[in-house]
Amino acid sequence: MKRLILTALAALALTAALAPAPARADDTLDRGIGSEWSSLDPQVNFDAAAGWIMMDAYEGLVTFGPGGAVVPGAAESWDMSADGKTYTFHLRDGLKWSNGDPLVAQDFVNSVLRTLNPDTLSEKGYYFYSVVQIKGAADLANGVTKDPATLGVTAPDDRTVVIEMLTPAPHILDILGAFQIPPLHTPSLEANGTAGFTEPAKVVSNGAYMFKEIVPQSHVLLEKNPNYWDAANVKIPFVKYHVTEDVGTEFKRFQAGELEVTYDIPVNMIEQLKAEIPDQVFISPSTEVTYYSFNLTHPPLDNLDVRMALSLAIDRETLQEKIVKGGAIPSYSYAGGFDPSYQGPKMAGADLTQAEREAKAKELFAKAGYGPDNPLKLTIVTTVAEDRTRLAQGVALMWKKVLGVEAQVNPMERKAWLDEFYAGGWDVFGDNLVGDFAGAETFLAYMRPSAEPGYNWVKPEYDAQMDVAATKPDKESRNAELAKAEKILLDDMIFAPIAVEPSRILVSPHVKGWVPSPAGYYNSQYLGLE
Amino acid sequence: MLRFVAKRLWGGGLTLAALVTLTFFVMRLAPGGPFSKNRKISPEVLANIQEAFHLDEPVWQQFGRWLWGLAHLDLGPSTRFRDYSVNDIIASGLPWSLTIGFWAIVVASLVGIALGIAGALRRNGASDYLAGTIGVIGIAIPIFVIGPLAQAFFALRLGWVPVGGIAGGWNALILPILVLALPNIAYISRLTRSSMIEVLRENYVRTARAKGLGARRTVLRHVLKGALLPVIAYLGPATAAIITGSILIETIFAVPGIGRHFVDAALNRDYPLVMGITILYGGLVIVANIATDLVRGWIDPRVRHD
Repeated sequence: MKRLILTALAALALTAALAPAPARADDTLDRGIGSEWSSLDPQVNFDAAAGWIMMDAYEGLVTFGPGGAVVPGAAESWDMSADGKTYTFHLRDGLKWSNGDPLVAQDFVNSVLRTLNPDTLSEKGYYFYSVVQIKGAADLANGVTKDPATLGVTAPDDRTVVIEMLTPAPHILDILGAFQIPPLHTPSLEANGTAGFTEPAKVVSNGAYMFKEIVPQSHVLLEKNPNYWDAANVKIPFVKYHVTEDVGTEFKRFQAGELEVTYDIPVNMIEQLKAEIPDQVFISPSTEVTYYSFNLTHPPLDNLDVRMALSLAIDRETLQEKIVKGGAIPSYSYAGGFDPSYQGPKMAGADLTQAEREAKAKELFAKAGYGPDNPLKLTIVTTVAEDRTRLAQGVALMWKKVLGVEAQVNPMERKAWLDEFYAGGWDVFGDNLVGDFAGAETFLAYMRPSAEPGYNWVKPEYDAQMDVAATKPDKESRNAELAKAEKILLDDMIFAPIAVEPSRILVSPHVKGWVPSPAGYYNSQYLGLE
Repeated sequence: MLRFVAKRLWGGGLTLAALVTLTFFVMRLAPGGPFSKNRKISPEVLANIQEAFHLDEPVWQQFGRWLWGLAHLDLGPSTRFRDYSVNDIIASGLPWSLTIGFWAIVVASLVGIALGIAGALRRNGASDYLAGTIGVIGIAIPIFVIGPLAQAFFALRLGWVPVGGIAGGWNALILPILVLALPNIAYISRLTRSSMIEVLRENYVRTARAKGLGARRTVLRHVLKGALLPVIAYLGPATAAIITGSILIETIFAVPGIGRHFVDAALNRDYPLVMGITILYGGLVIVANIATDLVRGWIDPRVRHD
């Protein structure tokens, strides 16, 4: 009994240790980040949501202003060489780390080196050898060489960073934010190892905020960094990121005022919330596209008419508005709609009405020898996520109704679904891709047969056209070439475009300056609190 | 006594060994792996990652490596949470799960036994109906319905406690503890009530009453001891179940315990984390069962082990 009492007292002590948090309700912005961050190591973290913490705590050469526009960050200006292959960044004068140490150009070079180093086990190296092709990056990532001097990112002096690429890439500015290339405080890493990224007292950062508290599975508390160059314009003193996996709980926490910005909105609440608090509901396109890929090695899906018929038979508006109801935007192209300067093509039949599309679909399907009398049997592989499964069931229903197709939906856990893509057991793959930036090239480059063999698409013309685009240093002429490539892609209909996925966020009226950003950049330093 | 404990521990150890072996190998049969995620990653980088986590080795060799680590109390690195080892994750999550579990079992025992006694002493009275109603609600309505309802009422409507998280201080734990305790209050009150009724009819109780012992003393001295035996038999496994079974509670109330990690780790194929929590939970259940048997032996000479 005595022991029981002692145990009880011990647990009581533990409970008492949870003294109520100091009241700072008015000067703290409470933001939801969904699941727990997978890492706070700035060169390793690859989660978009944890990226918000990174973007607040670190600053890249550039940063992303309200709406996600590229604005000068640690670099106050930059120049591009005439051939578009070399960028020179000029750092601001007097930049400091949160501990007061001077921030120098080499800190950015070290960050790229650490990201590429195979021992870091970072999945972000592809930004530097694939999204843009920095000289020497691929060899460092593949362990061909360990010589840092081979890298095309150099610091000729403390205030200059030079990036040399193998091909011009006007979108390089889109991947120089803190998510991709935060500077690295080498003395801290050497002294503390990676623990230096998770113990608030040891973390040295250079962004508008610095770490004050890190509680795994619960929250991260950031406080304003007095050594930040633009600290005078940072309005909110504290930002707290809360882990809340259950979207229903997160919504209630928002209602109770525990959160001012959510990570998601429960899908079944969207309609009601839009009616009741329209100014707090932010549903806007993200850079995630959903498309249904056809397995070109499974006849008759190697027949363009069959693929075209299947694509035309999908009523994309009804699918999103009546069946999935998650706020996704129906789409008839693959890479369009993110970069306003990109005028891409739409798939064949996009300009018809749905009735006309369905008539055309029946015609093409009959031509290929299929119809209600000779039904085509298909499997659709998708993930078990509720909206994805509902989407697949909706598509199956439309194919059944219009073409008499007998489609079986096969939902899989996400990890199994990812492996299934390469196992190739699918006829139709409920596919999705998150772009690395809000532009056409990130999507189109991914579909290159040379880059992604999993689609079994043989199309040298596409690779050739993408190679042409890759020689253009300026956005306009590059986008024109990219549009030609997208036409080749859409004409072959190796997938049916379905939708652009939305980001769904609730923002309390206390929070000022919230602007939807397709790439999902919402730096707290640009927000205000009333 | 010692022999009994040693024997049970030996049996428990064998069970645990079978449990972890089976889990380790069955887990590998599930399609997908911890790093089958980003199709953009170059094969070389992926190979590096696989090598660093020893996923390129044959499964039996990985098992050997894991056992070797276990012998050194090192459960390995997590593949999903790259900043932390499995030991770190358990060390940060277990106190929360234990706190909630401990208080839930305390609340469940006190309230459940009180309701049970009240029900048995005044059968078909108001308190009996109240206990019966709580019993039906607690057993029949699942936690994932009660939880959100409790949040909506006590946190949103009345504003007495936070909806979730722990950042709001200790009162954030009240709802999860109560909701976790509720089904157990129900079971314990029904168990207490029925065994009380049985014991009240025993000859020794009648004798005590006949000798002029007051009603209160009879109940506290004689009836309760006998009536609580089945409750104690239930409490052991229930304690283990409450601590390991708070997965839903931790998700609904955003409590940073380890229950949440269990499901998440399985879905993310975080093999080391799944193994770590499996062995921890397995050990807890075994220890709780042995402890229950010992307590029962201490209270009831008929089931004494020597």
